[in-house]
Amino acid sequence: MTPTGTNKALEIQGISKRYGDLQAVKDLSFTVNAGEILGLLGPNGAGKTTTIRMILDIIKPNGGQVSILGGPMTEEKKSRIGYLPEERGLYEDMTVLDTLLFMGQLKGLSRQIARERAEVYLREVELWDARDLKVEALSQGMNQKVQFVAGTMHEPDLIIIDEPFSGLDPINTRLIKNLLYRMRDRGAAIIMSTHQMHRVEEMCGRILLIDHGQQVLYGRLGEIRERFMHNAIEVDLDGELDQLPGVKKLTPRNGSYRLLLEEGTQPEALLKTLVNMPRVTVQRFERVKTSLEEIFVQVVARENRDGSAGKPVDEWEETAA
Amino acid sequence: MNKIWLVARMTYRRRIRSGTFLILTFGLPLLMVIAGAIPFLRNAGDSLPSVGYVDQTGQLAPIEQVPVEDRTLHLTAYPDVDAARKGVEQGQVTAYMVIPEGYFSEDVPVFYAEEEPSAMLEEGLTAFLRRALLPKADDSQLERLANPTDLTYVALASGDRVAEGVGLVVRFGTPSALAIVFLLTVFTGAGQMGTAVVLEKDQRAMEMVITSLAPVELVSGKILGMTLLSLTQVGIWLVGAAIAVGLALSGLTYEQAVVIPWSALLWAVLLGVPGYFLYATLAAGLGIIAGDRQQARQMAGGLGLVGMSPVYVIGQLVEAPNGPLAVGLTLFPLTAPYVALTRMALTDVPIWQLAIGVGLIIVLLIASIWSVARIFRAAMLMVGQALNPREILRALREA
Repeated sequence: MTPTGTNKALEIQGISKRYGDLQAVKDLSFTVNAGEILGLLGPNGAGKTTTIRMILDIIKPNGGQVSILGGPMTEEKKSRIGYLPEERGLYEDMTVLDTLLFMGQLKGLSRQIARERAEVYLREVELWDARDLKVEALSQGMNQKVQFVAGTMHEPDLIIIDEPFSGLDPINTRLIKNLLYRMRDRGAAIIMSTHQMHRVEEMCGRILLIDHGQQVLYGRLGEIRERFMHNAIEVDLDGELDQLPGVKKLTPRNGSYRLLLEEGTQPEALLKTLVNMPRVTVQRFERVKTSLEEIFVQVVARENRDGSAGKPVDEWEETAA
Repeated sequence: MNKIWLVARMTYRRRIRSGTFLILTFGLPLLMVIAGAIPFLRNAGDSLPSVGYVDQTGQLAPIEQVPVEDRTLHLTAYPDVDAARKGVEQGQVTAYMVIPEGYFSEDVPVFYAEEEPSAMLEEGLTAFLRRALLPKADDSQLERLANPTDLTYVALASGDRVAEGVGLVVRFGTPSALAIVFLLTVFTGAGQMGTAVVLEKDQRAMEMVITSLAPVELVSGKILGMTLLSLTQVGIWLVGAAIAVGLALSGLTYEQAVVIPWSALLWAVLLGVPGYFLYATLAAGLGIIAGDRQQARQMAGGLGLVGMSPVYVIGQLVEAPNGPLAVGLTLFPLTAPYVALTRMALTDVPIWQLAIGVGLIIVLLIASIWSVARIFRAAMLMVGQALNPREILRALREA
């Protein structure tokens, strides 16, 4: 909980940033609550990094307000924020342990506590034995884990991480994922910017999708997927299908069929029709879910075409069939 | 302050272990010590040969040996040159000296040997002639004869006592040496500072660090760390210089007369430390503006040339150490340390000029840190990209 008593760790209202003729971010608003992971999505150059840098006070917005942990950014609050930028970088001539001691102390930990935390986290990410190695001697994955620890060992209230899993194998990905879950459960608000849509589906309760610096999708992931749910059914069956009443398009797919329903057709009625058909046995009948990746691609593609993102996708039949 | 100190300590510890720093820091004093020790080592290795002599004046007292420091020079008198030469051929002596008949008018002795006499042998031959000329004088009289006027100069106005010879060299040479040390430090330190900032940008650690502290704290910490590093370097150089001077003086009798010019040392610290901070801050600013290391080095070189600029007018400074040019450069923050110390070697610089010089350095230093921190904020994430003048002005305005 933030000092104001609300659970909003971050509240952004109408921030904008312009670089010369380029409008990097335009009138963007969103909130992040304590104890949640918000997925920050967008194509390359959409304005994600600029947004993050404005939140962190690295660059100043041209307009709008950022309320972080209950008010404007202060030097004291920097110790309550953790950040893992997209552009990775540590001092290559320092050892892992010295790096963590330095970063921990910069975040307000005493040398003693920083050392204790460094040991705990390095053991957790299986790098304690590498503590005396210079950063330049680390592999990409090891470097990534050290940076993660450096950015979060002070157990911040707000964590902003950009592509936390890039360069990690499945075992290390699981390690980092579990650490993030633990931080979320402790009450930290987490903004996770990534292009790995399956990770967002797995880890994030809400998402913010931006393109050309503007919000195009924002809300609970389940609700967004519901909004983009196709009026389509996937069935596995024994038998042959030709034409069905109320079905606009029928596409065979590796022993199953994908059926695009006409407007007003109820799935229950279709199931009844199929069950009653002679020489057809239904084995699976499932409403087609839209993946986040599909939503991303279609929304961004349409946004680029005619700026009408946020509405349900109705040309699904052209792209998904 | 805590975070500034953290950055300073980290910067210092990282840099002090680098190979370039170690070579530069210890290589130079090592060379100085070797240079200072050469005469000492040369003497230490010397053995004094036995020398013959031919007294063509007929007026010198016969001498068989004279002490030279902790050794003895053995001498053999020969009646003529042929006998002396035969003595060499037969191995009785290794060299001989002919004291000509006109020695008391204008002729000088001639030394015949396989090689040039060492400093110690020359000293021995001089001692021999003194003794041969004044056989009845005792050792202390002969010593006094060697240095009849060890003048001590007492300034009428201040009452400062300055011994002659090496003492005078130390008295007047120290401020000049400190001025040169300042220039050398600025030259190496500014270059290191500029490249350190570019390196910081290159390593891309900046974005993580900057979310933990204010730009002014990072810049100040960086400058403080690099300055401490330069002070360490200068300290080691000065210790090396002191050892070298000590070794060079070890054979002489003047060292007790050496007077340390404390006033010059005090002003060297008061002017030199903030003066160096100022150069380091400006070099950091140039490093931030620069796109890459090469550009940073070039810019730092330009800054070093500004620091060197009084050297180009050293003639005028020596000619008129209290003239308007000298006073003006003493008050101008970028030239104040060098010019003030150089003038101190030549004249009494009024304290008000030194005080204003220090004050202006501090004012410009504060303004520079303020500006550099703001430029830093705008440029810290621009890897491999230089800042143009318009961007610099915008960064300063957005403060």
